[in-house]
Amino acid sequence: MTSATVTREKKANRAATVWITQVLTGLLLIAILTLHMISHHFVVEGGLRDYQQVLDYVQNPLVFVLELVFIIIATAHALLGVRAVILDIGLSEGAKRTLNWVLAILGAITLVYGIWLAFALQQL
Amino acid sequence: MAQQISPTKKDPPSRPLSAWFDVRKRRVGSWAFALNRLTGLGLVLYLFLHLGVLSLLLRGEESWDQFVAIAKNPLFLLLDVVLIFGLLFHALNGIRVALVGMGIGIKNQRTMFWILAAIGAILLVIAALMVFTK
Repeated sequence: MTSATVTREKKANRAATVWITQVLTGLLLIAILTLHMISHHFVVEGGLRDYQQVLDYVQNPLVFVLELVFIIIATAHALLGVRAVILDIGLSEGAKRTLNWVLAILGAITLVYGIWLAFALQQL
Repeated sequence: MAQQISPTKKDPPSRPLSAWFDVRKRRVGSWAFALNRLTGLGLVLYLFLHLGVLSLLLRGEESWDQFVAIAKNPLFLLLDVVLIFGLLFHALNGIRVALVGMGIGIKNQRTMFWILAAIGAILLVIAALMVFTK
């Protein structure tokens, strides 16, 4: 087996892993987002919770955990999607590596901010 | 020794950006692909905006309630319906893409698209009614 074949196989495996991750996070998002939309908007009089209602809502431990999971999978799904769109334009290997780093850093910042925000709201 | 060109060195551009805006000879699958990506990019933008808006809660009750008042404006509610359209299209078309990607319903993917589009349209009407009447 030549090194080119091994590299191609590695790339194919990575692409398959990314695709499966995108599908699984997408399915989870559909479930959590449905809950999120119903509980935050559709069952609330006026469509949006007021300040105190939001704070009371995030005090519920189950809701808090669900919101954390929501932030994590939404960020992963979103940034993998952006990566797919940009890769579709056609990039050199160097540009792909840069793109992966930029998206990983953006994802890390988003997660740190989102999780910090969730904890900060729970402390209010 | 003959020079070997590594296939990993540089892949040629597979689809120029201009192709996204070329509306000639497009089939339903091609439109679905383009719309899936456009709604996806819109939803990514919304995700960041949403996280930004939620930080208003940390500024106190007055900031949040001011935002809630703005969010009840009819123009804002119309944007909510656009958002729900994006969510529904991306989610339902995503299910179709995932099934086809797993080898399920490949021959019937066009029928699957229209069935999911009909479900999406019904859900959108229900959601829009709730947005404007609740």
